[in-house]
Order: sequence, then structure tokens, then C-alpha cells
Amino acid sequence: MEHPILFISLILQGLGLPVPHTIVGHTFIEQLCTPYMTYTWFVMAFLIVVPRMTLGKMELVPGSGQNFWEVVVGGLMDMCVENLGEKGAKMLFPMMATFFLYILVSNMIGLIPGFTSPTANLNITLGMTLIVWLTHHFLGFKFHGLNYYKHFMGPSKWLAPFMFLLEMISNFARLISLSMRLFGNIFAKEVLLTVLFMLAGAYFAPLPILMLGVLVSVIQAVVFVLLSVLYCAGAMEHAH
Amino acid sequence: MLTLSRLNADESLGCFVAEQRREIIRQLAVFSNAGMTFVFSVLIGFGIGWALDNKLFAGKTAPWFTFIFFALGIIAGFRSLWALTKMVRDE
Repeated sequence: MEHPILFISLILQGLGLPVPHTIVGHTFIEQLCTPYMTYTWFVMAFLIVVPRMTLGKMELVPGSGQNFWEVVVGGLMDMCVENLGEKGAKMLFPMMATFFLYILVSNMIGLIPGFTSPTANLNITLGMTLIVWLTHHFLGFKFHGLNYYKHFMGPSKWLAPFMFLLEMISNFARLISLSMRLFGNIFAKEVLLTVLFMLAGAYFAPLPILMLGVLVSVIQAVVFVLLSVLYCAGAMEHAH
Repeated sequence: MLTLSRLNADESLGCFVAEQRREIIRQLAVFSNAGMTFVFSVLIGFGIGWALDNKLFAGKTAPWFTFIFFALGIIAGFRSLWALTKMVRDE
């Protein structure tokens, strides 16, 4: 398959750095120069620089830039409060908002020619999912102490070992389904766009997929964060 | 006074629509997760059984752990669906 043109990779190649042609490079410096790493840094830089530029000085009557960020952050905070309660939302909000903005921006930049989505790589999504998964177990132990194991034992005493196995299996299924869904959706979008662009790019064939891509990007970002919040809420509440 | 009351009505309608949309998005997240969780439960159960059979016991117990854990995976999948229906019923 023809490689899409990635401008950061081109710049790095121009600087004489080795950009690997496989998904993951072999040496350390190659691994640092893989597209999904460089574009992750691009998204990080974007998320640091653009709010700084658009936010300006904070005012009581917000301007357009401040208004936009207030809507975004306020909406996220509302969602967290609804599912986690006031205290839990304050605790988890920074992490969840970071995930949301990072996933949203990295999904979206894949729609622009010359960019690729870092989330179209399983390593990135699995990394994020592992963070969420470990966090929700950590929260469980923090809120219930060692009694957290009761979450995995079911209601009756006799079925407890059996239930423990079942709960373990469905808990690991969470880990895989959360990472695979984000990866699968975004990877499919990227591949579809590349293929359509190669086949009939001159006749605007990718346009409908670009439109659907915007929808998928937003929905997947929301779904990832919402499910993380729900898992954390489930670990924090009392065992049934 | 009239404009004020109309403003309030509009605002509450907006709130209602926003709330409904938020509920739809929440349900989208929860239900779109159901299918994948089911499938991966079955696959993980099968995988654990296969690993126990072929890696840990080196093929001596050949099909049995695979069968047992495959069944456990299916039950775990249905259990997650059951938990989902219970959550919907309670709401």
C-alpha cells in the first residue's frame, strides 16, 4: 500500500533522523520517530499552545475564546458530576478531561491530509486503557480497603469462587473492549480514507467518509471517557 | 415580565433537550459496549483455557480446560448482559 505523506516524518527525515517504515521501529531512536509518537507530541504541543493562545486573560465576561473553553470544560465537568458525584468528579476530572481532549484532537487530526491519528495504533489506546483500568482498581482499594474483593464475589457464598472467575473474565474483557473499540474505529477511518484517496481522490470520493470521520471521532472520544467514568463509579460504589 | 418568562421557558426547554441528549449519549456508550464485552468475554475464557491446556499442562489435559473455560467465558458474557438489563430495569 502506498504510504500517506506525513509532514512531521518528512521534516524528521530531512533532519537526518531515521524514520521507520514499519509500525514500530527497531532501535530506540527509531521508536521515538515513529509517526504515532511524533504525532502524539504534536497533539500535546497543540493542547498546550492553543488554549494558551485562545484563552487570553481570564475575564468575568468571557470573550469568544474563553467562552469556548468554558463550554468544553463545563460540559465535561457536568458529565463527571452526574456519574461520580461532586467529590469524585473533583478527584477524577483532570484525568478524564485530559483523556477526552487528547483523544478528540488526535482523532480529528487524522482527517487532515499530512497528519495521522495516534489513536489508530493499538499501543496508544492500550496504554490509555491500562491507565484507566489500573486507576479504577486503585480507586476500589482506596475506597473499600481489602473489602474490595466483595465486588468480585457475587451475592451468595456458595457460588463465590465461580463468580470470582466470571468477574475476572469480564473484567479483562473491559480492558480489551475499551482499547480495541477506539483503535478499531479510528484505524478503520484512516485506512478507508487512504484507500479512497488513492482510488478516487480527484473526484472527492473521501468526502462522505470525512464527514462520518468527524462524527466517529467525537463519539469515540465521548464513549471512551464516559465508560472510564462509569467503571470508576462502579469501583467506588458499594458492593451489591 | 413577559419576555422574562418566555426566556425562562426557552431556557428550561433547552435544559430538557440537553439532558435528553446527554442521556442518549450515555446509553450509546453503555450499549455499544455490550456487544464487544460479550465477544471478548468468550474469547478470553477460551484463551485462558487454551493456555492452561497447552502451555501449563503441556497438552496432557488437552481439551478439558479449554471446554470448561470456554463455557465460563460464555457465562461471563451473558452475566454482563444480565447486569446491563438489571441496570436498565432499575433506572
